[in-house]
Amino acid sequence: MSYRATRIIRAVLIYVILTLFAAIMLFPFLVMLFTSLKTASDTFSYPPRLLPTEQVTVELPGFDRPLPLYYIVVESGETKPMALVEENIRVGIFAPLDAAGRPDVNNTVIRRFGEVKVAGGATPKEVVVGGQAVPVYEVEVNGAIAEMVVLTRTVFGRFINPANPNETAMANVRLSQPVTRVTAHPENYAAVVNLLGFDRALTNTAMITILTVIGQIVTSVLGGYAFARLKFPGRDQLFLLYLGTVMVPFVVLIIPLYQLMVVIGWVNAMPALILPWLYTAYGTFLMRQFFITIPKEIEEAALIDGASRWSILMRIFIPASAPALATLATFTFLYAWNSFFWPLVVVNTGNTRAQVLTLALNVLRGRASDSPNLILAGAAIAIIPPTIVFILAQRYYVESVTSSGVKG
Amino acid sequence: MISATTALPSGRRRDRAALTVLTVWHAALCVLLMAGALATLASASALDLLTIALAVVQALLALGSATAAALILRRNHLGRTLSLVVNYVLFLACLIGLAHVLGLFMGLDDLADYMARGVPFLMGALFIVGYFVAATELRERPVPVARRTLGQVLMTIGAIGFALTAGVVPALASIPGKYVSSGLLPLALTAGAVVLGYMLWSMWRGESARAMGAKNIHSERLNGWLFLSPNLLGFTLFFAGPLLFSLYVSFTNWDSFNKRDWVGLDNYRRMFNLTVQPLAAPDQPANQAMDVQVYDELFRVNLLGQSYLIGAEDKRFWISLRNTLVFGLLAVPLAVVPALLLATLLNSRLPGMRIYRTLYFIPSVAAVVGVALIWQWMYNSQVGWINYFITSAVNLINSVFGTNIKDPQIRWLADSDYALLSVVIMSAWQWLGFNTVLFLAGLQTIPRELYEAATVDGANPRQQFFNVTLPMLAPTTLYVLITTTIQALQVFDQVFIVSNGTGGPGTSTLTMTLNLYQNGFQSFRQGYASALAWVLFVVIFAFTLFQFRRQRRASGAYDL
Repeated sequence: MSYRATRIIRAVLIYVILTLFAAIMLFPFLVMLFTSLKTASDTFSYPPRLLPTEQVTVELPGFDRPLPLYYIVVESGETKPMALVEENIRVGIFAPLDAAGRPDVNNTVIRRFGEVKVAGGATPKEVVVGGQAVPVYEVEVNGAIAEMVVLTRTVFGRFINPANPNETAMANVRLSQPVTRVTAHPENYAAVVNLLGFDRALTNTAMITILTVIGQIVTSVLGGYAFARLKFPGRDQLFLLYLGTVMVPFVVLIIPLYQLMVVIGWVNAMPALILPWLYTAYGTFLMRQFFITIPKEIEEAALIDGASRWSILMRIFIPASAPALATLATFTFLYAWNSFFWPLVVVNTGNTRAQVLTLALNVLRGRASDSPNLILAGAAIAIIPPTIVFILAQRYYVESVTSSGVKG
Repeated sequence: MISATTALPSGRRRDRAALTVLTVWHAALCVLLMAGALATLASASALDLLTIALAVVQALLALGSATAAALILRRNHLGRTLSLVVNYVLFLACLIGLAHVLGLFMGLDDLADYMARGVPFLMGALFIVGYFVAATELRERPVPVARRTLGQVLMTIGAIGFALTAGVVPALASIPGKYVSSGLLPLALTAGAVVLGYMLWSMWRGESARAMGAKNIHSERLNGWLFLSPNLLGFTLFFAGPLLFSLYVSFTNWDSFNKRDWVGLDNYRRMFNLTVQPLAAPDQPANQAMDVQVYDELFRVNLLGQSYLIGAEDKRFWISLRNTLVFGLLAVPLAVVPALLLATLLNSRLPGMRIYRTLYFIPSVAAVVGVALIWQWMYNSQVGWINYFITSAVNLINSVFGTNIKDPQIRWLADSDYALLSVVIMSAWQWLGFNTVLFLAGLQTIPRELYEAATVDGANPRQQFFNVTLPMLAPTTLYVLITTTIQALQVFDQVFIVSNGTGGPGTSTLTMTLNLYQNGFQSFRQGYASALAWVLFVVIFAFTLFQFRRQRRASGAYDL
């Protein structure tokens, strides 16, 4: 095998594996999006289908409601889409008797019981089939009368061809395959938003997220600048302390923080969801790492010109650190938007005034357990905005994740 | 010239007068603060931690104020620093207190009331976000001035529109009314803030700095603390303070309300209290072998023909510990090993790799709650996709190979044997992309020359992977392992959603964090819950240290 061929095979193999994993990563999101557009009954169909579907109906003159379409095998053996006009018709499957006196299962016909009559008139005619006496019916087949026995009784529907209303057929409705088409029910989203104060939760989450992002940027930029460029006693020890806090799991703080909120009176209120998150060691660290890469000479020149520290920060450092700011904003956005544990602790279930999306989803999960379409529409409302923000800012976000990873 | 020489002494006299005012102010402030500290102690009905802390802070500030007064008299530059610090702290306290008294913080709730009707708000937010995204392009090519101005104008319009529609203006207009209705406190705080602000300005001025003999380095120090102060305030109030308080609470039996007695190590003792009892027969009832008033049966073990019964005072703690460790042991490899494989493939420099990288990353930005709901639906045992895929695969294998494998029909989240595994799979799926990107970044820092040298030496791709890639990737691997482990040991959102907060079915998904939540916020045993939190902290710390040490031993010291 030539070198070129090996390389092509290798590339194809890589693409196959990567695409397979991409499918695994994306499939749950596709399930979410498509299920959120289904009707509740459609979600429970088996085998599961990705696309939301519904049965096609037709309007025919003489019928006051739309008629559902099914694929029906007509007498000629063709399969045609036909409209169901009448249900629950009691029919029998009739078979003639062969020379040996047994029912001939290859020549069966389907007739309503109203269309046939018992043979023999006043004294009903019976034959013995399989050790049992069964009645014999006179059935019209192609204009001739034949004597037949009932094989089975069942319930059928009557179908007509919408293109040619004279063509009719009988078939079992439940065993017939419905004619379906792909559809979408975006009104599920409106239903979720109007349910359980989801609209309020959306507003609250947006507000919390935006205020947290702005607040964290302010504290992190100021703190990062102080750590990067200003010498003051205790700076390096304090910075080490800040770094050490990354190790502390949030659950260690949750009880004292909750009690602090009780003391201040912020339980069940929005400030509890914003103010404790305005400080982050991570953001301070990120901004500091970025600021120390800015050349010192520019700052020194500005200082000699009499600029204050504040104006140096505003005019030199902030304009130069747009990528770091975008990263910090994205990180904070994702964190604030997705947080669940802290709101769960500090906001009571059922309190809609201070509810956030993740809490509303938790409530929705309990209340709408029979409508997965609504639950997943709610999940989509919670998942789509962060995804859009990530895709917009992903260049900087991913780069920053990677650089912090390599540096440790 | 003449005017300058005559102006100078009068200027100096003014500076001296300002410093005298500051001295008097600090002396008065010292008395005021001492009185405040005593009043705080006297007025409290019981000496709780908060009262003591408040009194101590006031006493310390009084001490600082007195020292500042003495040092200002001697024109020592430390006096300036101290004066600024004391005044600044009190100034902030006044402002925050004022905001609290006037209900500015709770005003956020009212803001949310009106925001629902404010589409302009959303537009304003979009402008802000859009501006940030546009600004990120600054680094490579500057945004044209016209566009930048337009962005600023749009942002301003958005902000004004939001302020008008979301009721910010009437809210601000209602503040004077609150002064009238809430008595003296807001007025006193405002007056305090104004006086303190004046004192700050008076000392901060260049003239005072010169008079006090302060140099550039001193003002740099002050600037440092000033810039850090918002951050430090958050750090103290919402991190360091609560952390210490949490340790204290873990030694009490706090029920979140009135009872808060010091119980020493009793919480920890109860958590780790185990009993091992020999059994006469393997199926002997537990109440014959141990005191079932205290202990619950944990498990039975057969050692060298002798059966033992192991009981625990807090059975749920041990179960949650086991579940958390099992979760970590399964989820971490599942989220790390495929990530390494994917990163190696993504590093192949073929076109389109960026798109794959973005796609893999998406799960890690989605809300865990939403992801758990999606997976819960896919795990549905009757109509879920996972069982459908398994059934299809089994049918395919049976029809192709003529085998007769039975469809397992796993009930996933409803089956206590599989529930934890289900959560492991969903979590690993969510963490995989993040780790892939980290590994990819690590791989891209490995110099290509190493691979070229290895190829010259005749190493095949497999040998290159094990002898070049893995050792060079060690720092990244360590970072990935540590972050994933920390995340795994704290798992909460997923198990809360899929088990409805119970840790069920049975106790199969009861993790340490969930157990802590149940103890602290459902049974309100907050003292015990704090102790659980510290044990979790120690477990996480131990794991991190263990991985760090092992890695260091394997690859020698390196700079982390």
